[in-house]
Amino acid sequence: MTNPYYAQTDIGPPYFWDMLPQVIKDNYGKWLYHEKVKPGVLKHVGESGDELYTVRIGSPRLLSIETLRWFADIADKYCDGHLRFTSRHNVEFLLTDAGKVDALIEELEAAGWPVGGTGKSLKNLIHTQGWIHCHSAATDASGPVKAVMDDLFDYFKKDDLPAKLKISMACCLNMCGAVHCSDIAFVGVHRKIPRVDDNGVANGCEIPNVVASCPTGAIRPNPKAKSVTINEEKCMYCGNCYSVCPSLPIMDPENDGIAIFVGGKVSNSRSGPAFSKLAIPFIPNEPPRWDSLVAAIRNLVEIWVKDAKKGERYGEWIERIGWEKFFEKANLPFTDKHIDDFIFSVPTFRSTTQFKFTK
Amino acid sequence: MTEKKRPLLDELKKGKWPSFVNEMEKSAAKKPVVNTLMDLVERSYEEKRVHWKHGGIVGVRGYGGGVIGRYCDLPEEYPDVAEFHTIRVNQPSGWFYTSDAIRTLCDVWEKHGSGLTNMHGATGDAILLGTTTDHLQDCFNDLSDNGFDLGGSGSNLRTPSACCGPARCEYACFDTLDLCHHLTNEYQDELHRPMWPYKFKIKISGCPNDCTSSIARADLSIIGTWRDNIQVNQEAVKEYVNNGFDVKEEVLAHCPCNCITFDEEKKELSIDDENCTRCMHCISAMPKALRVGKEKGATLLLGGKATIVQSAFLSWVIKPFIKLDKEDGYQELHDILERIWDWWDENAKVRERVGELIYRKGMGEFLKATGLEPVPQMVHHPRANPYFFWYPEDFAAEKEASEAGKEVAGSEVSE
Amino acid sequence: MADFTPEELRAKILEYLETKDKAKNRDIATAIGVSKREVDKMVNEMAKEGILEFLYLGTSYVKLKDK
Repeated sequence: MTNPYYAQTDIGPPYFWDMLPQVIKDNYGKWLYHEKVKPGVLKHVGESGDELYTVRIGSPRLLSIETLRWFADIADKYCDGHLRFTSRHNVEFLLTDAGKVDALIEELEAAGWPVGGTGKSLKNLIHTQGWIHCHSAATDASGPVKAVMDDLFDYFKKDDLPAKLKISMACCLNMCGAVHCSDIAFVGVHRKIPRVDDNGVANGCEIPNVVASCPTGAIRPNPKAKSVTINEEKCMYCGNCYSVCPSLPIMDPENDGIAIFVGGKVSNSRSGPAFSKLAIPFIPNEPPRWDSLVAAIRNLVEIWVKDAKKGERYGEWIERIGWEKFFEKANLPFTDKHIDDFIFSVPTFRSTTQFKFTK
Repeated sequence: MTEKKRPLLDELKKGKWPSFVNEMEKSAAKKPVVNTLMDLVERSYEEKRVHWKHGGIVGVRGYGGGVIGRYCDLPEEYPDVAEFHTIRVNQPSGWFYTSDAIRTLCDVWEKHGSGLTNMHGATGDAILLGTTTDHLQDCFNDLSDNGFDLGGSGSNLRTPSACCGPARCEYACFDTLDLCHHLTNEYQDELHRPMWPYKFKIKISGCPNDCTSSIARADLSIIGTWRDNIQVNQEAVKEYVNNGFDVKEEVLAHCPCNCITFDEEKKELSIDDENCTRCMHCISAMPKALRVGKEKGATLLLGGKATIVQSAFLSWVIKPFIKLDKEDGYQELHDILERIWDWWDENAKVRERVGELIYRKGMGEFLKATGLEPVPQMVHHPRANPYFFWYPEDFAAEKEASEAGKEVAGSEVSE
Repeated sequence: MADFTPEELRAKILEYLETKDKAKNRDIATAIGVSKREVDKMVNEMAKEGILEFLYLGTSYVKLKDK
């Protein structure tokens, strides 16, 4: 190879201070309060009396540089060249001139970028790579997310839900992102055990790592083949062995699909953070529009909107009415899949005579 | 090149939510490789299966992370995307950008890759999606020359991230952005050169609302809190009430500690702060009237992770309160963090997260190794079983105490 | 534990990696008889100089570049 030029390593990220608009530098750490002006618009007021408006749009996370450059132009036009992103794939435009807010919204909306997702609204749906880029995806990510957000679009634009609604999706059990603590989480799942390619395992995988990767002890060394065997009765199809060893493919077009979990949250507000729990064990993959998934999530959202008290997050609502009532209201079958049989199962069993009868 | 039809992806251009397919088409106008990508994804849609395989060894000189190798499993049919690697670019704290910084990133990525990005990945990095092995070093060079660096991947410190903190939030209990920037720069070796049993994630939230979801997905969750009283502005309370805000329904009814009272005649709130657990509900409901306290810092929680292998864990309290001062370079936090890393690196099995190690070894061993004090704030409740360890040093301490003529707590029970 | 100068440690690590396709830092440390932390530090230096590179196969390894 010729020459190569090697640029400096370990310079670290750009210094955030250089990215901040002047109004933020002036009021840094001295914000007094904020108001929700309307869905998608926040107003922060500093001790100085300075005002900062934030206009939030939802994005599909996968963005072309053409779009990013357009966002940069919009930031120049309305925001003295400043914008930020959120942990949920939103873009936020930061303005000081209240008079420009409506014109900015109009221009964003006209170009197809929805303003919303603040306060008691449906938040942007965080998700993973799916078929666009991941090797372990049990379902696509961008497609199902697009279909669900199209269907629930109005909830992103309004802020009159009982409480905020965070829906998240991960395309396999690796769950990149905080999917397992969302109001509604949908997750790509496998249902058949991995196939063992003995040659590949023998030549490309570290057997002890493969054995150790299994949460249920289903994998044993197979010294004869310098490979492994998988105990069908113990395997729970998590796919972690495939992450460690490419010669244990688990992907299965006919049997892979999506499971839905509900009632999780991360904030400490009122009740503490909580995991999402299983509501629907399996929905088949239905590209391109995932109709059954979309219908299932709409049902889950609507029963909460109808029944929850003001201020109740999804899980708080279920805790009040009881899980048995949740299954009744959601008209969902309760099956053996819903009862935990992994390592922390016993504390989830109902060890009291206090429960409600359901129809 | 003949345009292939993609009827399935076309279905996802319909509807009101912004379409990722439109984004791919915008990129494809300049980058034919994205047409190939769309053909491949269309095929995934037909076959209901992914067409990518594991990463090989790709990277830039001196780094063991930041680039994720990605290869198509049908390289003959889709040669343009036979290699389609990801580059993780470390975001500025709080994801604030100038328009020029965005344009710089775009220009580098137009030169070296597909023009597709994720803004941002779940860990926090700006993700540049799709390039070939021979572009990696040049792309890194251009990023570095323009002030950007790579984030983490593999068995190392992953890119720390922080909420917007004091830049745009009155709840911020410390400078989340500065701490995030500081830790990222202090631990460049740990970020870029894998040497640990597995990944380690740090997320920083300025208040218990935890906008970075740190408690669910960071090994170390740093969550802002305060230890004195919520600041009440009674004039603003009156204003809320006069505007029809129902304090009893919206605030008191939701207080998990029942520690707020409301005087309807005076229209005044009072808070029994000693019994408040700082959940943020009342402050979030009445941001004009209530503010976080003045003696601010953070709670440190450890062990959070997603499901694989030993179930998902939420991070748990290891230090109820820590001051986070820029002035001393966050020394106390560094000390604790490095003791945690030493113990974990020494004791963990391959791919064992720190939370799983504590589950296997016990909190007792963890606390001893790190010198952290056991306190009731660490647990929901004490153990309900009688299986606990006694160590030689316990007996030595007992002996020493009795020799000193002092009564040892608990010894009278054993009679 | 053996006490090496940086030059000696560097030579020992190179010598060890000559015999292996890839290795974990801990295994290098055990083989040479120094602390893992010392190996981590030296391996990082050598990676920055382009002498070593990292591998990720479910966990991390180092190897000689172009070996």
